[in-house]
Amino acid sequence: MVLKLIKQVIKVGEATVLYPFTPVEVAPGFRGRPQHDPALCISCAACVQACPSNALTMETDPDRGIQTWGIFYGRCIYCARCEEVCPTGSIQLSHDFELAVMNKADLYERADYRLAACRRCGTLFAPAKEIEYVLALLEQAGLSGQTLAERRSLLELCPSCKRKMDLHKMVSLYQEADE
Amino acid sequence: MTSLVEKKPKTGQKYVDILHAQFGAAILDESWQAPDQVTVTVDLNFLPLVVETLYYQHGGWLSTVVGSDERPLNGHFALYYVLSVEGGDQDFAANGEKAFVVVRALIPPHKPEFPSVTPRVPAAIWYEREVRDMFGLKPVDLPDERRLVLPDDWPDGLFPLRKDAMDYRFRPTPTTDKETYEFIDLEGEGIVQVPLGPLHMTSDEPGHFRLYMEGETIVDADYRLFYIHRGMEKLAESRLNYDQVTFLTDRICGICGYAHNVAYCTSIERALEIEVPERAQYIRTILLEVERLHSHLLNLGLACHFVGFDTGFMQFFRVREKAMKMAELLTGTRKTYGMNLIGGVRRDILKDERTKTLKWLAEIRTEVKELVSILLDTPNIVQRTQGIGMLEKKVARDHSPVGPTLRGSDFGRDTRKIHPYCAYDRIPWNMISEAGCDVLSRTLVRAQEFFESVAIVEHCLEMMPEGPILVEGFTYKPYRFALGYVEAPRGEDVHWSMLGDNQKLYRWKCRASTYNNWPSLRYMLRGNTFSDAPLIIASIDPCYSCTERVTVVDIRKKKVTLVPYKEMERYCMERKDSPLKQL
Repeated sequence: MVLKLIKQVIKVGEATVLYPFTPVEVAPGFRGRPQHDPALCISCAACVQACPSNALTMETDPDRGIQTWGIFYGRCIYCARCEEVCPTGSIQLSHDFELAVMNKADLYERADYRLAACRRCGTLFAPAKEIEYVLALLEQAGLSGQTLAERRSLLELCPSCKRKMDLHKMVSLYQEADE
Repeated sequence: MTSLVEKKPKTGQKYVDILHAQFGAAILDESWQAPDQVTVTVDLNFLPLVVETLYYQHGGWLSTVVGSDERPLNGHFALYYVLSVEGGDQDFAANGEKAFVVVRALIPPHKPEFPSVTPRVPAAIWYEREVRDMFGLKPVDLPDERRLVLPDDWPDGLFPLRKDAMDYRFRPTPTTDKETYEFIDLEGEGIVQVPLGPLHMTSDEPGHFRLYMEGETIVDADYRLFYIHRGMEKLAESRLNYDQVTFLTDRICGICGYAHNVAYCTSIERALEIEVPERAQYIRTILLEVERLHSHLLNLGLACHFVGFDTGFMQFFRVREKAMKMAELLTGTRKTYGMNLIGGVRRDILKDERTKTLKWLAEIRTEVKELVSILLDTPNIVQRTQGIGMLEKKVARDHSPVGPTLRGSDFGRDTRKIHPYCAYDRIPWNMISEAGCDVLSRTLVRAQEFFESVAIVEHCLEMMPEGPILVEGFTYKPYRFALGYVEAPRGEDVHWSMLGDNQKLYRWKCRASTYNNWPSLRYMLRGNTFSDAPLIIASIDPCYSCTERVTVVDIRKKKVTLVPYKEMERYCMERKDSPLKQL
């Protein structure tokens, strides 16, 4: 038995590598640190909704007219739900797994996005990039000219102004019907 | 009745009919969650009798007990005793009809007590203590009045899982600085109490063990666990959406997280009547077995370690690394796979991954074969494990242990065979059991199961059909509930989930396999020597942590001695110079 074991040990040779001096290779589909591309991101907060561990956050600063997307790697569980739900592909999980830092603040990443003001009442209501993204999608779907401009004027209204306008429209429709 | 339930013939009807015939008007209601899953509401006073009848006369095993605060729904507290009824006589699970029969009883809020089942069915003891802690429901005639889950310094009268009790973030001020838990009182001529803990050696979870010694022999054992209760059930019911809970279930256990994950997902899928695509079923089966590969190798490695054969330990861990790499290749991470969503899996197995996995499986099989033969040829291993830590059949029958712990005591009981889920009923594989009832048998079961798992993964990779891997577009239906169950490496994991009306869970009860194995450990320790205790505890395969030390108390001399854990472990390996002699 001892002989068998010694033979086995010699056959195997060295089983360990000199990590961290020798890099460790991970599988192709490995889920490591999520990487955020602020240029692609439209600040729609779909990832924040999906994140099971609350690593992703969205904060609004009405004074500055800014919405801040943030990730805290200390809470991240690398599940890749954010990558799955992102409409623009701005979050991608990398192969990076060495996340130790000396300073906790280094585990935070943030990106600021400008909020658009309602054309009618001036309330800040949605990220400007998100509205532009929707319009770009509509244009790609074949809308142009007059129709697209109409859509734009509608999209630049905040939800409560939209409701008010709908109400006015309905009232006038009823009045027409009465007449 | 529901469509999916109607599609297949019901298999538990026989037991429902028997209950109706025997108890008549005491059976108030029945509802079917699946063709082999029925919930029978009984009169509260008949609860112990009904559970006993199913348990002992119809080959029932207690899978879990769920307490639930259903006052907002129907004005009552509810108890669900989940029994896997398998037919047969008192001693042997035979080839009867196999179904989950859930016995439900309602408890009025003005009189929060119920007749304890434990005096008739000992397996219920932990569950009833837990229900008392979490819901304030008093089991009348329960012999053990001590807390199980709540800490000693938790205020009286605050029951965390009652819906109106507390926010999940609330941390009450501790009521005492002292440890008030009373261990069983066993004093006699020459009996010495040996406390192990509050951090225990072979367990990830800190546990305070107390061994009652007569010389070098263990007369009895008692333990206090739940020092790191994480409040996951409350968290899942309060903060997470039902589809986010899947990622929490991955983190219940560091070894069998995926088993919990599948158990949870299947419970919701059953409740919502979602039919998971075939290919997803196969992928789940593959990953469950990959998880078993690394878990069993871990335990076999530890078996070497505890008999002082550390080279073997290193070799098993070297091979185990290949199983970890396999998981990384197939899921994207080594642990916490995050592969399941309600309705299927998130990631397919591609051709490259398949080829590589098959290659690795062949390698791992040869290597483990060699290692196991080396291990069993070591004279030490048989000598140290044969006849040690006996789990007698009678004790096993009474306490419903699960997994290799039970199968090592000659019971052919494996959830994969009894209640097939995923693809286990479509591929050929053998259930392993051993008749020795000792540590050796449990180790042998694991060694053989390892090779079965390799074969199962190979079969699945060969037979996996093409097709979709995820269904989407199902509807969330309020207040539906069902069971999910998986044979994890250490035994059956059971999840009972009830949906709420707000995209959350109303009640979620998850039961890990070791929960069912702890209560019978006491009987395994009796009559063995001090130096075998770590070996016996390791043989039920709780997780491993070696950060603790052992306190030895000599009652007669009123003397307390601290034995460092290293010393305890050394003694287990070398069995020379007992630390007890220094007392």
